[in-house]
Amino acid sequence: MKTVIEARDERTQPARLVPGYPQTPLRNPREPLVSRQPTLSELTGPLEVARRVKLLGGDIAGHGEKRAIGQLIHLRVRVLDEDGAPVGGTVVEMWQANAAGRYIHPNDDDHAPPDPNFYGAARLVTDGNGLFELRTVKPGAYPVPTRDGWWRPPHVHFSLFGKVWLSRLVTQMYFPSEPLNAQDRILNAVPDAAARERLVARLIAPTGDPHNALVFEHQIVLRGREATPEQP
Amino acid sequence: MKRTALVPTGEATIGPFFPPRYVDAGANDLTLFEGRKAKGEAIEIRGRVVQEDGVALENLVLEIWQADARGIFRHPADPRSAQADAAFLGWGRAVTDTQGSYIFRTIRPGAPQGRAPHVNFMVMYSGLMRILKTTMFFSRDPDPVLAAVPLPRQELLVAKLEKPGIYRFDIRLRGDNETPFFDD
Repeated sequence: MKTVIEARDERTQPARLVPGYPQTPLRNPREPLVSRQPTLSELTGPLEVARRVKLLGGDIAGHGEKRAIGQLIHLRVRVLDEDGAPVGGTVVEMWQANAAGRYIHPNDDDHAPPDPNFYGAARLVTDGNGLFELRTVKPGAYPVPTRDGWWRPPHVHFSLFGKVWLSRLVTQMYFPSEPLNAQDRILNAVPDAAARERLVARLIAPTGDPHNALVFEHQIVLRGREATPEQP
Repeated sequence: MKRTALVPTGEATIGPFFPPRYVDAGANDLTLFEGRKAKGEAIEIRGRVVQEDGVALENLVLEIWQADARGIFRHPADPRSAQADAAFLGWGRAVTDTQGSYIFRTIRPGAPQGRAPHVNFMVMYSGLMRILKTTMFFSRDPDPVLAAVPLPRQELLVAKLEKPGIYRFDIRLRGDNETPFFDD
């Protein structure tokens, strides 16, 4: 099982220096990044992270009296490689703000209230079809402390491992038709419009789901493809 | 069976709110796996992570990936993976404290085929739109990845032996003596 990793089209990836995101010029290298030929070290990676970390179930909206406040949503996310092959058995970490735009984190000193029934994190393993599902509430938008009018639109964070070191991905998923998407400095750091569009989940037409959840589908593509086996 | 080529999803910053519970207790200790002790020389890798103005970065997420004591990766792409140390996962995660300091406890890796002993690092933080990737070495022994780095900067990827079993690998994201990062 060999994975081939090729350079990505830079236009489909975010700029490192983002106007109006004041931490970016302090923390990104000034020197040019160094090119290397990947070796076995970068073309292997941890496949058993699930044996090292504690998994957290994907039903994080609570039930009954303990139901989190907000619009109930069901996320159905498929994880594929660059050939469209499902990436099964890989750890996915997800985190998000509550419906009021507040994270459960010491760094979040926003005035929005925490919700005692919402922590906002799940850690799952994709199934054999590369699928994982979450029952959560739609995150709220929130102002960024730059205090210059930048608000983050509703978004969900994902961290994924994939099959090799270079397939590791940290990304964010957005919601369709959100007015704040058009001015978000992080989403719009990706130059290519089609690549930005692929960061936005798709609303599935409601069908009378008895669970009162809006269903969103999303696709995440990890770097790499399986090498064609050598012919004997 | 030909599948359509898909474009890898765009990266984004990990942001300031990565859940503290995702840095599991002991995740920075690779010498123990499911209660078993890994084979080889246990070492510590310590360092401090700073930004442009030298300010220490707190709550920054680091991950490492490395071969076991015999230079074998726990992954089927390594032809020797069947002989990998069953008590060594090769992956760990640490977070920096208020001083910007981190610690990994691990096993001194052996030399994988064609490589000098090394530890792969990833840096994830607010303000980093992309994961920053670098590699720590134990010496200037010949290595193709180290050789890809301009000569005057290679020394910045070699950990300093502070005392027996304790290596220092400071990471400067930007500025004087900036750590070399790779464009993959």
